Amino acid sequence: MLENSIFVLLALFLLLGSAGMVGFKQTLFSAISFMMAMLALAGMFALLDNSFLFLAQIMVSVGAVVVLSLLVIVSVNVKEENLPKEPAKFRWMLFAVVLVAPLAIVIYKALTYMPHTWAKTGEGYGSLKMMGMTLFKDWVLPFEIVSVLLLAAMVGAIVIARKEPSNDA
Amino acid sequence: MSMAAIIVAVLSFVLAALLALMMIPVLVWLERRGAGLMQDRLWPNRTNVGGFRLGGVVQSFADVVKLVMKEEYYPSHIKMGKWLYMLAPAITFAAALLAFMVIPFADNIVIDGESLRVQALPVEYGIFWYMAIGAIGVVGIVFGGWLSHNKYSLLGASRAGSQMLGYELPLGLTVVAMLITYNTIDFNAMVQWQSATVFGIFPAWGIVVQPLAAVIFIIAMFAETNRAPFSVAEGESEIVAGFMTEYTAMKFAMYFMGEYVAMNTASAVIITMFFGGYQLPWVSTGYLLENFAIFAAVMMPLLPIGVFYFIRWMRKNNRVRASVSSDGGRLFETKVFTIVLTIMTLIIEMLLIYLILLPSDALGTAIAVTIFQIAVFVVKLMLFNLFFILVRWTLPRFRYDQVQHLGWYYLLPLSLINIFVTALIVVGVS
Repeated sequence: MLENSIFVLLALFLLLGSAGMVGFKQTLFSAISFMMAMLALAGMFALLDNSFLFLAQIMVSVGAVVVLSLLVIVSVNVKEENLPKEPAKFRWMLFAVVLVAPLAIVIYKALTYMPHTWAKTGEGYGSLKMMGMTLFKDWVLPFEIVSVLLLAAMVGAIVIARKEPSNDA
Repeated sequence: MSMAAIIVAVLSFVLAALLALMMIPVLVWLERRGAGLMQDRLWPNRTNVGGFRLGGVVQSFADVVKLVMKEEYYPSHIKMGKWLYMLAPAITFAAALLAFMVIPFADNIVIDGESLRVQALPVEYGIFWYMAIGAIGVVGIVFGGWLSHNKYSLLGASRAGSQMLGYELPLGLTVVAMLITYNTIDFNAMVQWQSATVFGIFPAWGIVVQPLAAVIFIIAMFAETNRAPFSVAEGESEIVAGFMTEYTAMKFAMYFMGEYVAMNTASAVIITMFFGGYQLPWVSTGYLLENFAIFAAVMMPLLPIGVFYFIRWMRKNNRVRASVSSDGGRLFETKVFTIVLTIMTLIIEMLLIYLILLPSDALGTAIAVTIFQIAVFVVKLMLFNLFFILVRWTLPRFRYDQVQHLGWYYLLPLSLINIFVTALIVVGVS
């Protein structure tokens, strides 16, 4: 019962945050909505008793992603009147909702047809050790490929950000 | 859950809340006292409640009363997001306070074969919790700075954000090196690891095992907590008060107190990871549990001597100049404190006698060891807070570009090399 009510609360925050992320005009409020959604998602992981994912979610999504986007917002600092005019915003959003509705129905049907059995969790579920073992034993190739991708992205960003050699020399 | 478990959990929580919150007035006082000491002048020392000055700590309470009584004022140019403008300091304060909750104050206390954590949040992912929750603090600063709609606040917010990003990397990489060394993310297990010795002589504290990591970690902590010499986000000389410029009354006080709570938390994390936490050097918990009677016998004569000299020092110093006619209740304060200290010493002496005569009392010894370790922890915490304060009043503030340069060009490569060397050594040894 307690789990259910916590889940409903977290889901509410998640939905509100996601809606706010899309709906707010001012970017800073979008950022705080995004943060709320990410914290609610972390709470979902905590509810599943997975302490590592819970903390990694906060660390990566809030500590890195939200802070970086906030930095961009602060650096750009768009004035209220310079934001793009969106007169038919809510009509477009309604249109998008209608477009996505069939997909939502498919997902709902698929979920309700699934058997109501829960996966058993083994010893040390959600711990850092188990996570590391899974990543480096079963998923080592995808893990390494992703890390090469990240490295390439980092090198690319540094090359783009590097100072151009001055022409007036 | 047994009764003992509930009692230990509640007491640890109360202790953590007290250590985090009651430390604020003490730290504010210590800051002013330290500033006075370093600059050869006095400190606020007149405020008293019925003669009780506590050496000037009462001034901090007077400040709080003043800040609470102040008019709740909004700058009229803040049109939107007033609720977020209000909430921003609370986010920073709450993040600092929550991050403190995973610090172990003593080793696991064993009652009736049940091992109980002396931690406000009894979790085993301590350092992860600190890194995750501590990162939220800067979000409050950026919100406040942006919503103030003031160029100074905006500059302060962007400085706080980019400085935090620049130093989070060396901090995290240093933590990775320490995780390789300790082979755990649990704060308590880290402290237990540190109760061994290296080469049979030195205590295996983090700073002895990993001196480079310790230096990088402490520097990064100074930057994370926005303390001088890294306080560019406030930078009075350049940007008025940075992100706090438009804040008044209790909203300002939240930022102000949050800074001290963050500093206290940083000290606690540093001593837990690098200075043996609640342990005395060379003395592990098991040794202390077995031989507590000897410790009690050593403490018995030392305690009254220490208290005697403290009382004599207080009697000599807690008075006004001879030319002043009224002593403002200082003699009364000295008298009350003398009586209170004497009674407390007597009670502790009696408890020590009990522990010496009845060394077979396992529960009593366990509780005494826990209290002893908490005392060691608090002393270390105060010493490190003092270090933070002395550094603030010794070094001038760095320029903003120097801060970024230090973080990206020196600390980041050094911490990467440190991980590499640590991994090589750990793999080589095992």
